[in-house]
Amino acid sequence: MTMLALVPTDHFLIMTLYALLVSAFFAILWREDGRERWKLFGILVAALVGGGLAVAWLMYPFPK
Amino acid sequence: MKETAAPPAPSSVRVRIVGRSPYVAIALAWLIPGLGHYYLGRRRTAAAFAVIVVLTFVAGLSFQGRLYSIEQGQPLTILATFAVWGAGLLNIAARLFTENPGGSILSVTYEYGCAYLLTAGLMNLLLILDAWDIATGRKR
Repeated sequence: MTMLALVPTDHFLIMTLYALLVSAFFAILWREDGRERWKLFGILVAALVGGGLAVAWLMYPFPK
Repeated sequence: MKETAAPPAPSSVRVRIVGRSPYVAIALAWLIPGLGHYYLGRRRTAAAFAVIVVLTFVAGLSFQGRLYSIEQGQPLTILATFAVWGAGLLNIAARLFTENPGGSILSVTYEYGCAYLLTAGLMNLLLILDAWDIATGRKR
């Protein structure tokens, strides 16, 4: 099995991974306290994934 | 009556880290993600940043994203190239050791790969600024 076979091609999975990485980065960069970091992390993940789903839903009537 | 200057507010006091040069900090921060923070004594944060940025960059490569270079007639590639070069040694190593630094536009994950690579570079640029702020006492 090549490494390429392990790479996900599912759009939602890739988007969610992106949201997790970016949220973790900014939570650590912008907050010092552990509890505050988790709170910001949750807010950012929810905003990125929720925002992505909302935009996808809005674009649904316009496939091309 | 003689006026005396008010003492500065605690938030405006800048405390530089003794024995740590801001210039060395930003150079290290550019070379390897998190190394600037490690140099400044923030070891756990440095490790977390290193994992996040390296993971984002490697994911971008595995999604067959493009390591941008400046192209004539494509002014936006200047910004993209600047962003990717922000990843420091990761970018240089990837250009040297990957088979196809230009990515694979036919891959279904190409656009995602580009976004990941650009994001990794931009994250590291933010870390450089953060290391500067910590080293000069602007951030505690």
